[in-house]
Amino acid sequence: MLATVAGLVGVLSFHTKPSSISLGSLPGASSSSRSTTTTTPPTQPTSSNPATAGAPPSTTTSAVPSTTRTATGAQVNYNFGVLSVTVTASGKKITNIGIASLDDGGNGRSQAIDQQSIPMLEQQAMQAQSANIQGVSGASYTSAGFAQSLQSALSKLGL
Amino acid sequence: MNDHTGKRAGPQVVHQLIEVMGTVVTVDLFCSAGVGSSEAAVPLAKARAILQRADSLFSTWKNNSPMSRLRRGEISVADAPPEMVEVLERCAEAREISGGWFDPWAMPGGVDPTGYVKGWAAQRAIGAFAAMAIDGALVNAAGDIASFGGPAGERNFRVGIADPLAPHQLACVVDLAGALATSGAYERGAHLINPHTGLPSALMASASVSGPDLGLADALATAVAVGGVDALARLESIDGYEALGITFDGSRLLTSGFVLQPVPELR
Repeated sequence: MLATVAGLVGVLSFHTKPSSISLGSLPGASSSSRSTTTTTPPTQPTSSNPATAGAPPSTTTSAVPSTTRTATGAQVNYNFGVLSVTVTASGKKITNIGIASLDDGGNGRSQAIDQQSIPMLEQQAMQAQSANIQGVSGASYTSAGFAQSLQSALSKLGL
Repeated sequence: MNDHTGKRAGPQVVHQLIEVMGTVVTVDLFCSAGVGSSEAAVPLAKARAILQRADSLFSTWKNNSPMSRLRRGEISVADAPPEMVEVLERCAEAREISGGWFDPWAMPGGVDPTGYVKGWAAQRAIGAFAAMAIDGALVNAAGDIASFGGPAGERNFRVGIADPLAPHQLACVVDLAGALATSGAYERGAHLINPHTGLPSALMASASVSGPDLGLADALATAVAVGGVDALARLESIDGYEALGITFDGSRLLTSGFVLQPVPELR
């Protein structure tokens, strides 16, 4: 299931201010008896081209520890700047998705788009997991950046 | 939903992102026992090559792509690579079927089959996995989805359709029977052109079309988003294709065979 949450994110369009949604009431959010955090410092991409920035293509398969842990994906370029995504999971279940860092250049239009879109991306990824679906169809102009960084975070979590 | 217990291991899913066509295409392969990423490597490379070839041929952003050269009149269709001839033929069919609501020849700046190509390329790419012994495959090209099979033990995949009026939510959930494409003007960068006027315009907030082929579904979703009820009504007579249109006031218009599943609450 979780690998497909990453999959659907490729579909979503986003952009935003740093934010994260609280999911304390979700099953799984409080089911773990201990937490470990394994946040990896993001690395700055050297290219401004989203097609070449970020991690190389990765193939992941599922096999997962049962603790609650958090990882931050690589910083990647997107259409308006640079962002990185952070993911917290308990076992195989994602309990939170948020933006770890975002630099959208500070201009009004970027910020407006970002504030609207990133919460949407986060919530759709969460809802997809909750709804037991394998993808989302939408008229999105995809943000390669969100998907890239999320996938990189999920890989670090073994999801 | 029961996966957080870890007691029921789900199917092994091989997941890959392919950055191409200015976006990210996600591939999910739902593998049976004994099949995994090593068996998937060659088919994945093939799928990637198919998508990259489509990008290099059809990009209207790359100045030297055959599509850009065709648009500038430097080459004719007769000189074009065979895939371009095929795509333009299919586009002409889609134009006919849609009553002109999908019309690459009415786009500003010259013929632009972009509304067909993404779906067409993803549909071709999923063919790379057809010979694998897997339960199912999903290729999701920025919201346009090609599929076969389903997760282990399921007849098909289930996917959500983003709500164009409340982007935090899914408008509905559907069981996939092949392909599902969604078009709309609610996302940045989407400019739907009314072929009859040449101006940006859409009658639906979003339109989704299901059917066996993602290329045609993609074109028809654009047609319904632009043409509204008139375009949607035409789909009733197209075998295997169904449409859902969501209007700007939130009303939903469906062809008779489009089946919605309940949307679970996010809790």
